[in-house]
Amino acid sequence: MTTTAPSRRRQHSRRFGDLGVALTFLLPAVLAAVLLRLWPTVRAVWDSLRSTALGVEPTHWVGFDQYSALLRDPAFLNSLKITLLFGIIVNPLQIAVALALAVLFNERIRGAGLMRTLVFLPVAIPQSVSAVIWAVAFRPDGPLNGFLTRLGIAPQGFLTSPDQALASIIVVVSWIGVGYWMMFLIAGLKEIDPTLYEAAALDGAGRWARFRGVTLPQLRRQLAFVLVADTISNLLVFAPVQILTGGGPNGRTNLIMNDVFERAYVRADAGAAAAGTVVVALIALAIVLVQFRLLSRGSD
Amino acid sequence: MSTQTQQRPPTGARPEPEPARPRSRRQRPRIGLIVLGTVIAVLFVLPLWWAAVSALRPQRETFSTLSPVSLWTLLPRGLTVGNFGRLFDAEFGRALLNSTIVTVATLVIGLAICATAAFALAVLKFPGRGVIFAVMVISFLIPFDAIAIPLMSIFRDAHLENTYLALVLPGVGNGLAVFLLRGFFLGVPIDLAEAARVEGLGWWGVFWRIYLPLSRPALIGAGLILFVFQWQAYLWPLLIAPDPEMTVAPVAIAQFAGQQGVDFGAIFAGAVLTALVPLLILLFFQRYFTQSVSSSGLK
Repeated sequence: MTTTAPSRRRQHSRRFGDLGVALTFLLPAVLAAVLLRLWPTVRAVWDSLRSTALGVEPTHWVGFDQYSALLRDPAFLNSLKITLLFGIIVNPLQIAVALALAVLFNERIRGAGLMRTLVFLPVAIPQSVSAVIWAVAFRPDGPLNGFLTRLGIAPQGFLTSPDQALASIIVVVSWIGVGYWMMFLIAGLKEIDPTLYEAAALDGAGRWARFRGVTLPQLRRQLAFVLVADTISNLLVFAPVQILTGGGPNGRTNLIMNDVFERAYVRADAGAAAAGTVVVALIALAIVLVQFRLLSRGSD
Repeated sequence: MSTQTQQRPPTGARPEPEPARPRSRRQRPRIGLIVLGTVIAVLFVLPLWWAAVSALRPQRETFSTLSPVSLWTLLPRGLTVGNFGRLFDAEFGRALLNSTIVTVATLVIGLAICATAAFALAVLKFPGRGVIFAVMVISFLIPFDAIAIPLMSIFRDAHLENTYLALVLPGVGNGLAVFLLRGFFLGVPIDLAEAARVEGLGWWGVFWRIYLPLSRPALIGAGLILFVFQWQAYLWPLLIAPDPEMTVAPVAIAQFAGQQGVDFGAIFAGAVLTALVPLLILLFFQRYFTQSVSSSGLK
């Protein structure tokens, strides 16, 4: 690898590049990408096209039967519906709150740095730990009901109530997520040229008009990124569901990752789980493609 | 607009960044904002505070302080470390040790893999660079959790269940870390590398002696990304390492909480211990983390 030979060697390397060196540098990462991401994806597609009915017959090609069975399975359709409902509520909610907090903590107010850090703290904690803490908080004899009792309100079911369980999960994942997305938006706010605000103020624009006229358009790239990244991470929510409700009551919180997990490990239906995995991966890919469109339009 | 109470700057001086306005109009919303911000921050931190206090108070007080809620819900009457003692009797120490081993191994191996790849993609010129970059981008666009279940089948076929290798591997190749480091390396003037090459330094030397020492902030940022991914991993360890000997802390705490006749004092103690490591690290490096994550995600 030493380059004692002068110009001949350099011209050679200009023509053919540093292929050998590059391959050594790249090999581990390329292996990791191919073996740990691409191969399992291909494997999921392959498994989903074959029957793996336990003990009944040897595995054989079944084409799209797994998918058509899955899409006729009321439990899977319900999990798609719940995942969609969850996404429609949780994504705008988290982004709106994160944006409001980003704007608030970006103001020059006393203690803003400390407040920002306190809101960010839940991000640092493993999701399963957060779920365990909230599991106790939501108990019938937990602090939330203790607080409601103090206010003279009857105790609520929270995780055991069909009407409140999904909302409870939304509270938990937002408690974790809001601080995280807020940090991205604060980074974006700091990049906005202050003279834009001065110009708007000179034009007599009030707080709200400056927010709509300067902040929102200037923050477009960050918002687009946060929207997509948040949507994907909420598509893949698993630990809080598995720990807090197991998908219940009556499938009301059965988000798609929990559904696929249960197919694989509780019902041992590998083929259906593989098909479910492919569906999740396709939805994630579709969301990423939207990101590219949003971001490339944003850079025009 | 109204009476000017402040001294005007001498004529010809540059205008202040914000036009001076009467104090009363500027102060009042500020106080409102401070109150609002404080209330929100307290609400966010309250569950953590309550968990920490509950970890330190005698187990019988966990629920007795809750109905009705009073100040004693949030303040311990007597402090004890008994919860932690029972936690370690229940082999939680093993889980914490496993998490530490897996995370440290991920950090060392992951940084090496991601930094070398980023260096090749940013600095070296070779045919097929675009193709390799595309393969990396596409593979890392697939979220890991989405393919954890089929990856589990592959690892099971290779008899890797319940091994540290299986726990570490998925964390070592991280697309976000590669792109972050690549972006940083692209910012290092290429003249430095070329000058060193003329002096006879090999590419390995350029990487090790020039690029790495210049890239400390990016390396810290990439390290934090790898750390956070691995320390809070839940689905993958749950699938691949069910053996009690190999359980990691986030899984152990969830299993602990799911048992019959739960010991809430010990659960809170475990939650606090598992949360403490990342809390301290992220508090210390918060700036690097947010900077790096936001720049690697956006550029």
